[in-house]
Amino acid sequence: MEGRNTQIVYFGPQHPGVPGNIAFKLWLDGDRVVKAEVIPGFLHRGFEKMMENRTWEMNVTLSYRFCVEDPDHLEIAYAMAVEDIVNANIPENAKWIRMIQAEMGRIASHLFWSHFIGGSIGLRTPAYWAVTAREEILKWFGRIAGHRVYHNLSVPGGIRYKLPADFKEHTLKVLDFVEEKARDVEEALLKNSVFKARTRNLGKLTSEEALMLGVTGPVLRATGYKYDLRVNAPYLNYDKVKFEVPTGSIGDAYDRSVVRFKEIYQSISIIRQALEEVKLDEPLRIKIGLTIPPGEGVARVESARGEYVIHIISQGGRKPYRVRLRSMSMPLLTTVVDYILSKEEITIADFPVLLASLDPCPPDLDR
Amino acid sequence: MATQTLIKSLKYLFTTPYTRLVPRKVKPFKTEKIRGAHILDMNKCTGCSMCQQVCPAACIDMVQVEGNYPQNPRKRFPRIDHSKCTFCALCVEYCPVGALSMTTRTGYELFTIDKNTTLKSPLELCRIEGEVTVTKEDFVVGITPVKLGEVPLKRGE
Ligand code: SF4
Ligand code: SF4
Repeated sequence: MEGRNTQIVYFGPQHPGVPGNIAFKLWLDGDRVVKAEVIPGFLHRGFEKMMENRTWEMNVTLSYRFCVEDPDHLEIAYAMAVEDIVNANIPENAKWIRMIQAEMGRIASHLFWSHFIGGSIGLRTPAYWAVTAREEILKWFGRIAGHRVYHNLSVPGGIRYKLPADFKEHTLKVLDFVEEKARDVEEALLKNSVFKARTRNLGKLTSEEALMLGVTGPVLRATGYKYDLRVNAPYLNYDKVKFEVPTGSIGDAYDRSVVRFKEIYQSISIIRQALEEVKLDEPLRIKIGLTIPPGEGVARVESARGEYVIHIISQGGRKPYRVRLRSMSMPLLTTVVDYILSKEEITIADFPVLLASLDPCPPDLDR
Repeated sequence: MATQTLIKSLKYLFTTPYTRLVPRKVKPFKTEKIRGAHILDMNKCTGCSMCQQVCPAACIDMVQVEGNYPQNPRKRFPRIDHSKCTFCALCVEYCPVGALSMTTRTGYELFTIDKNTTLKSPLELCRIEGEVTVTKEDFVVGITPVKLGEVPLKRGE
């Protein structure tokens, strides 16, 4: 790759254009990026190994700590995997509340993403409005779960905290606020001609390519391929609510943005439906002992970035024998970026936009 | 299109800032269920070490305190390192007698420039200022399921 005209530039981890604590080594030909090598490891803690050394109830607090933007799906997946080992049937009420939690997390994550992409393009103003809406969701979590970002709400067996008496009214109020703000951001961001010029035809992927690269989530749906675990392999009570799976057509950065915004409205509608089913005076949790019998548990959830899989093996006792996590950021940051660079002419100015449009979560890759 | 955006922007031009001036004007963000610094009831604690066992950050040590505590014959109480604590409230949930609770004391109120002050002895834990927010009663107690399914080895036995 090193030729007379190739320049090597280190990009990140302190650069505002990278989506978090990750670095890239870029080979530039003029201002075209010809090759990118991801430099991971800034957040490596060995989560899988750490989870093997902690007990089942401690692992709840560990299961979500590697993705700030979307911790709820990780937490729910861990709880579901443990429940899978013991074949537990949790109360319906807990399932509905988990759905509300998951969709709130998805909305917060997508809103935060619009801040990233706005920042990478230079359109920060609408992005600040999005953060306002996210802040309202974080405050809601602060009331329901006690903390703003890491909630610790879903544990193996159900829901951990009692819900406040005005749970439904408060949630509806937050949803109205978020919906209004999201529509404003969508108007100001997606219809902006600068945004369109910067994202249209950038980082195109076809459905076949996306599937070949192992991509799921909004990036796959933007290519026009209708695949969503909530519909294709429903978990919790997703088969009992009505919602659409938004898809794009050509799979470029603009399509991904449109899909994410449409998903916000679908999530809001799912929460509204789930809220009607929540019964505040009914049980929320079943008792799962401190020791788990031998067995295997798998849970797959559709997180904000795509399919998240957790596989736990128990040999009985207080701790898991092996925990395996698989999330979407790995292909997004490695193979997808490589593939797009090899196929398309991406300049150094477009590189942050491309990264932001994929919406990876670097700690997720490092773990 | 552009006019729509302009109208929206104008709307925001006349709103007050959403951000808050912390810490000069207001206290850190708090809710009625926020999980902040612990408070210990030394007249309830039996010294059973359950809190130490469940702490995922391993920030609880059991230390001896002199005094008259009839329910705690060995006089051992939890000492919590607030610089390690993740405020997950597992210790509150699993304490069998509800001796630990959490308070509103959080955010920059816990910051310190002297590392030696983060280790809160049991006596200090009794005197934490702030309102009590999360107690053992706030946790849902699990109902025992009618039948917890058969548990054979599944998948690739
Ligand atoms: S709140 Fe969590 S981390 Fe802190 S002392 Fe209690 S169990 Fe340990
Ligand atoms: S605080 Fe509770 S769990 Fe900890 S030693 Fe005392 S009684 Fe046991």
